[in-house]
Amino acid sequence: MTEKKMHQFQRLSVFTTVATFFLIFVGGLVRVSGAGLGCPDWPKCFGRWIPPLHAEDLPAGFDAQSFNVTLAWIEYINRLIGVLVGFLILATAIMAILYLRRQRRILIPAIFAALFVAFQGWLGSVVVSSLLEPLLVSLHLLIALLIVSLLIYITQALHYLKDGLLPKSTAVNKPLRNWIVILWVVALFQIVIGTQVRSQVELILSDFPLLFGLQLIERIGLINYVHSILGILFMALSIIVALMLFKKSEFRILGVVIVLLPLLQISIGSAMEIFGIPALLQVFHLWVASLIIGVILIIFTQLSYTEG
Amino acid sequence: MKNKISGLVSGIIAVFFLAVLALVVIDSANKSRYDLPDYGSIPHFQFIERSGIPYGKTEMEGKINIVNFFFTSCKGPCPYMNSQVAKLYRKYATSQDVQFVSISVDPQRDSLSILQNYATDFGVTDNRWLFLRGPMDEVEILSEKGFMLGGELPDLHSTKLILVDSAGHIRGYYNSYNENSLELLTIRVRELLKKM
Repeated sequence: MTEKKMHQFQRLSVFTTVATFFLIFVGGLVRVSGAGLGCPDWPKCFGRWIPPLHAEDLPAGFDAQSFNVTLAWIEYINRLIGVLVGFLILATAIMAILYLRRQRRILIPAIFAALFVAFQGWLGSVVVSSLLEPLLVSLHLLIALLIVSLLIYITQALHYLKDGLLPKSTAVNKPLRNWIVILWVVALFQIVIGTQVRSQVELILSDFPLLFGLQLIERIGLINYVHSILGILFMALSIIVALMLFKKSEFRILGVVIVLLPLLQISIGSAMEIFGIPALLQVFHLWVASLIIGVILIIFTQLSYTEG
Repeated sequence: MKNKISGLVSGIIAVFFLAVLALVVIDSANKSRYDLPDYGSIPHFQFIERSGIPYGKTEMEGKINIVNFFFTSCKGPCPYMNSQVAKLYRKYATSQDVQFVSISVDPQRDSLSILQNYATDFGVTDNRWLFLRGPMDEVEILSEKGFMLGGELPDLHSTKLILVDSAGHIRGYYNSYNENSLELLTIRVRELLKKM
């Protein structure tokens, strides 16, 4: 692979990763603004490739009552960005197939990212036709986190490949890497619990549509406590990891970030409890969770390639 | 160092951009939901409730009303439609701001005591669900001209649930046979309640 191609590939993979994080943010926004069913059909929206602007333009067979132009367009723009990101990931996989066939540790994640993104698109249609079944919505988020993890790994592996670095033996940084794996597992578990807190809120609302804010939080019950306690546990774990990272000069910034993000996340979570789950905080709570997963992966990959 | 600072600055700008984007999207989504269609005011009417007290538009004002037309001896769609209303009635048990108004389209047969028994059969224990009886010609006019519903009464009465806001304005028609439509109804009621 020429240096120029390598440079292009690197830029593509960085751009794709950033775009995927943006897509996760937009996806959260769709969820929180309640636009998930803005289009009752998939992939078209109200039977059109360009959603209608007025209820009068609806094709026959669609109930004008269920048409809300704002929600339809929020959902549809999410799908369009999803398609764009899908093509970016496909391009990443094609680049890897064309130029880095022999670099298995880049080729394989790139192909998997493309396969997952195709699956994710299909899952999106199932989520809509299931009328936003909570478990499917959570799975949709988990796949997104998996895809973004693969992309981060590819981006970093490319960076090290350019510098001629190879992954170290697994013995290097072993205890620290084990801690990072634990952190990653707890983070994913915590995210799953978080999605269940959200589902619980929706269940309560369907039984008690008159509850708002604080009354609603009181009713969430056990799972909310579990989520809070696990959040604090995660914070403690990330402090342990950060202390270990501080001993390595190259990892100091990551050490700070891995403490600051959970701290920010706990603050957002607490603010949600105090102010009655405002929508803006929900979006960021979900998004910061995806950033934490990203940072954990960056640390892990960097630890695999450098001794620090 | 310079690199790190510019990285931090672009990070802050990105988060700021995302926050503004989120606020705009959430706000317009909320506004679009508040923005229920307004099909105009229902006309003045006054019928008799099963308890014997006069009941009409004036009594509906100040509350969010879910209105439907039915008759007790109807074997077709009525039992199902009213079982759906009963579900909503139980759902809103904690609120005095949401009430249900079922108007008989067969006042000849549906005496107040028959209406009372019918209500009991559907588990009605308080006055959040009202059953009205009025002169047939007035019921016909109310159904056709007031609520703009079609269908020959009594047999072909509408199975729609009609949402009427606290000012007595019609804000939507919902299909009692469609779960999505009923789901939408509860969202709309919630939005109306927020505004009250």
